[in-house]
Amino acid sequence: MPFRLEKRPEPSRTMLYLTPAAAVLLTMIVGAIIFSAIGYNGLGAVREIFFTPLTNSYKWQDLGVKAAPLIIIGVGLSIAYRANVWNIGAEGQYIVGGLAGTWVALATYSMSGPWILPLMILAGVVGGMLYAAIPAFLKTRLNVNEILTSLMLTYASVQLIYYLIRAPWKDPMGMGFPQTRLFAESARLPTIIPGTIVHLGVPIAIIVALVAWFIMSRSVFGYQMRVVGTAPHAARYGGFSENKTIWLALLVSGGLAGLAGVLEVAGPFQRMVPGFPANYGFTAIIVAFLGRLNPLGVIFAGIVLAITFVGGEVAQTTIGLPNAATGIFQSMMLFFLLAGDLLVRYRIRRTAVQPSRSAA
Amino acid sequence: MPNRLELSGITKQFPGVLANDNVSFAVKPGEIHALLGENGAGKSTLVKMIYGIMQPDAGEIRWNGQPATIANPKAARRLGIGMVFQHFSLFEALTVFENIALGMDAKIPSRELEARIREVMQTYGLLLDPHRTVATLSVGERQRIEIVRALLLNPKLLIMDEPTSVLTPQEVEQLFTVLRQLAAEGCSILYISHKLHEIKALCDTATILRGGKLVDTCDPRQETSRSMAEKMIGTGLKDIVKPDGRAFGDPRLVVNRLSTSRTGHFDVPVHNVTFTVRAGEILGIAGVAGNGQNALLDALSGEIKGHDREAITIDGVGIGSMDTTERRRHGLCAVPEERNGHAAVGDFSLSDNSVLTARDRLGMVMMGLINSGAARTYTGKVIADFAVKALGPASTAGSLSGGNLQKYIMGREILQKPSVLVVSQPTWGVDAGAAAAIHQALVDLAAAGSAIVVISQDLDELLALSDTLAVINMGQLSAARPVKAFSVDEIGLLMGGVHGEKEAQHAVPA
Repeated sequence: MPFRLEKRPEPSRTMLYLTPAAAVLLTMIVGAIIFSAIGYNGLGAVREIFFTPLTNSYKWQDLGVKAAPLIIIGVGLSIAYRANVWNIGAEGQYIVGGLAGTWVALATYSMSGPWILPLMILAGVVGGMLYAAIPAFLKTRLNVNEILTSLMLTYASVQLIYYLIRAPWKDPMGMGFPQTRLFAESARLPTIIPGTIVHLGVPIAIIVALVAWFIMSRSVFGYQMRVVGTAPHAARYGGFSENKTIWLALLVSGGLAGLAGVLEVAGPFQRMVPGFPANYGFTAIIVAFLGRLNPLGVIFAGIVLAITFVGGEVAQTTIGLPNAATGIFQSMMLFFLLAGDLLVRYRIRRTAVQPSRSAA
Repeated sequence: MPNRLELSGITKQFPGVLANDNVSFAVKPGEIHALLGENGAGKSTLVKMIYGIMQPDAGEIRWNGQPATIANPKAARRLGIGMVFQHFSLFEALTVFENIALGMDAKIPSRELEARIREVMQTYGLLLDPHRTVATLSVGERQRIEIVRALLLNPKLLIMDEPTSVLTPQEVEQLFTVLRQLAAEGCSILYISHKLHEIKALCDTATILRGGKLVDTCDPRQETSRSMAEKMIGTGLKDIVKPDGRAFGDPRLVVNRLSTSRTGHFDVPVHNVTFTVRAGEILGIAGVAGNGQNALLDALSGEIKGHDREAITIDGVGIGSMDTTERRRHGLCAVPEERNGHAAVGDFSLSDNSVLTARDRLGMVMMGLINSGAARTYTGKVIADFAVKALGPASTAGSLSGGNLQKYIMGREILQKPSVLVVSQPTWGVDAGAAAAIHQALVDLAAAGSAIVVISQDLDELLALSDTLAVINMGQLSAARPVKAFSVDEIGLLMGGVHGEKEAQHAVPA
């Protein structure tokens, strides 16, 4: 039976806000079915992944720490995606931001002072921006698709970590381990709640989201991003340059990814290690969409995705779910979300049955 | 003989609007029947139901006396209903023949199809080389492809949706000859238009819709254009109040040898365009669509940024190399032809759409932040002054009907009191009442001392509105002359590219 998609005249506002919730719910249901079908405790998997991190108060600090980078990167991506600039390489910008911060930390190793951390953060932001500037340059000058360049640069940045921590930045006391030395006290992000792992990055993430929300809804910059993304032709008529917008979108999203990177290396890691790339940059794509490309929504979406990260680890130990299960749940969520968005904007119509020829 | 097509009690309800309310009329065999109405009167909905794109909620369609259910356009074509849409669906990179072959329901061997195409073209004088690429054809020629495509199916009813809006006067005459020949052979024609004098010249019967209801079925030859227009809009029609013998001030907009380069495959750049518009003057630029109008508007508005600063001057200041925003600051506002997605953002509120072009001229931005209160106030003023039918500044632009959106857009630019206003197709698809309001606003703006350029394909509009007139053809602009110095024939020849001998001598060798 042939089907076709038909554009709805006006997508329902309510449905637009309900799709994320529906996507999460569907992920749980389908996840439970799939994992049951392949011989795991499906209901248990959903419970451990989605509910244990919430009911077990000991896990709350983990949630905050995991959510912070997701929110910071997700906010940046939500701004770029509004402008239809598809920065898929936030992971690479996150890595380069972390590396830039590491460089400052290592260069100031023998020094101390309250200026070191701000300098590291600045370096991280600039690092992320510079790395995002490559796709921006290629896109605006040579019209190279930013999806490809930003994505491929991610793999280049991973190799950069491996090179730096094996040779020039290797810990002299590390017994040959490929990692840098532990940062000095002044280069570590302080915890804000004593006795927990909750570091300064968590409130920074919330502040970043609030500021971004204000800028996106009130400023000419936010207007520019929205109008270029929605109606590029009208944007040109209104006096907004498309190339400038591409640059701004990539620099802002790259800079925020870099910020997340430096906060991560100065906070939870406190040194550069091979395991630094944790797919935050990719997961933040889901966060941006789940948050409806709205910085306030990104806060909630970041927490939801953090739950799946923390819950995935719980499920590994309690019911022996493989590590990949987290990824499966996360990708299902993106899939249902995008499918839901499509159905909000379009309806599926069965192509009308052809009347018999005798009718004519 | 039974009626070819008979509608009785056709009703179609959309969420929030009754598009057709108990509409009944009949089309006789061989009759040319006009369907008249303002935008949003329900003409398109009605035609879509006849052509099977939509189904009526209530009422009956009878075809040759038999009740018929038209499930889809394919079924309509099988019954013998053909349609030529206002917007063509042609692939520019393919040939005439390939485009026709792609649109056929039945598979016909290409040699046979070509023979039939040539036969139809011969019979109706629709001469075209089937192997030419569509991109090289004029709009009138493209329309012929669509007509040939419809005629290949031997239709008994041909629906024409606003067919003449893009044609030169000569092309209109040719089209009418074809339509009259078809009618004489017994094919009925349902002719949708808002050009009343054409309906008077062509049609046997006119059915007038207003607000989804049938207002009147009349004989257009017994009516005046004015009486039909008044039936359409339901009230008396206002004339443009344009004082005769107005004096113009100093030159405000001076364009000197303005050229653009080709940006896309099929667009037409402008070449060495030169004209002057004085304070209080309305310059009309006539021409068939696709002759460089878009490039001219973009080059004036700043969307295409030039290199020669002095190519465009406003009150003596060279703005030729400035971008859109700077040109607005210097007093040049522009309205492009395409409303949705170019002049306005459909998904944005009207208030946000005001920010698009009025933010700098009206101080809606303070330190990078948008003063949404100022935008709302200004939008409210536009809505009130231009009688825009909208719930308020917060309604989305996309929720407005075409005519109302155009009133809003024109109002948004005019109330900024620009020293120079350049508009393209200011009343395209806009009903008579709204068009009169827009025309009056342009005349008033000129009276207040602005220089105005109106680019339009609607010759009636230009003749009524302009003080001086120039014709654009293949990117070249003829010399501007007072509108009274032109005859319609002369304009038509210029539109078709037949320049005077003097022009030919100046033609630039390729």
